[in-house]
Amino acid sequence: MALTRRAFTILKLTSNQSLCRLTRNASAHSKIGDREVVGFGFNGEASYVDRMDCPMPAVRFRSNSKEIQALKEKEKNDWKNLTLDEKKKLYRASFCQTFAEIEAPTGEWKSVVGVSLLGVSLALWIYIWMVKFVYAPLPKTCSEEAKAAQLQRMIDVRANPVYGLPSKWDYEKETWKS
Amino acid sequence: MFRSLATKAYSSTARCLKTNSGFPGALMNQRNMSKHSTETDEEFDARYEAYFNRKDIDGWELRKAMNDLTTMDLVPEPKLISAALRACRRVNDYALAVRYLEAIKYKCGNRVKEIYPYILQEIRPTLNELGISTPEEMGYDKPELALKNVDDIH
Repeated sequence: MALTRRAFTILKLTSNQSLCRLTRNASAHSKIGDREVVGFGFNGEASYVDRMDCPMPAVRFRSNSKEIQALKEKEKNDWKNLTLDEKKKLYRASFCQTFAEIEAPTGEWKSVVGVSLLGVSLALWIYIWMVKFVYAPLPKTCSEEAKAAQLQRMIDVRANPVYGLPSKWDYEKETWKS
Repeated sequence: MFRSLATKAYSSTARCLKTNSGFPGALMNQRNMSKHSTETDEEFDARYEAYFNRKDIDGWELRKAMNDLTTMDLVPEPKLISAALRACRRVNDYALAVRYLEAIKYKCGNRVKEIYPYILQEIRPTLNELGISTPEEMGYDKPELALKNVDDIH
């Protein structure tokens, strides 16, 4: 009985429009913690992404700690009074990476090349193994003598004498035309 | 009786016209097609400068305009950048100013050696007046911190 009443209460609660909206908002913001939402970002979602084509994300990178709050108070005065260290702290409170850091090479290409070459060498070893243990030996027509004999035969029977191979053979001097 | 009918007819027609008036396509036989902007460069600059110079601009609007300008195929005029930096001052956001200067440098593309020094030279008075350090002065022209790969954190 108590259980059904509870279920009924939950049903009633979830059907409540305003509560629905409340929980939806809460879930959309649950991932950013207590970080301040300051802008539209790139799609209107409260998220932080360092993008060079869209430099201002929707939320600040760091949450509003005591230290940053104190800095923010100081920021309201003349910026010439800020030290370089404070300026950097302020920047890092709003943003994660500078443009130079976004652009910095990660060195990932090395592992990509390395793993690709590993794959290539594995394929080569498989080929060697196939040649050794799977394939039948090459036919005897592939030997050097057989190929030389084949060439001689083409010259002898004058196969395609106008454009073909025998057109380059000098039949009087018995050599290739220079 | 006739009068009441006429009044009713008038009011319903008026309501009809009223609803239509919000939708120019229905009355003016205008097609909803895209067309090229006829705004000149000077008008564009003036529009954005006026936007940045608004006294009551807030951080949201400022960021939106900066993001929009970054997506466009242009490098903003120095006077626009100065206006944006002053807007940063008004909303008390130092980080935003430096970030925008970085974005400007990025927008210079492969002609950064020609355009960026010119822009810095033009906005130098504003930088000095507001006490904004350029990204170079803050050492942000080179990577300062390494970011740990999120896949390696836990």
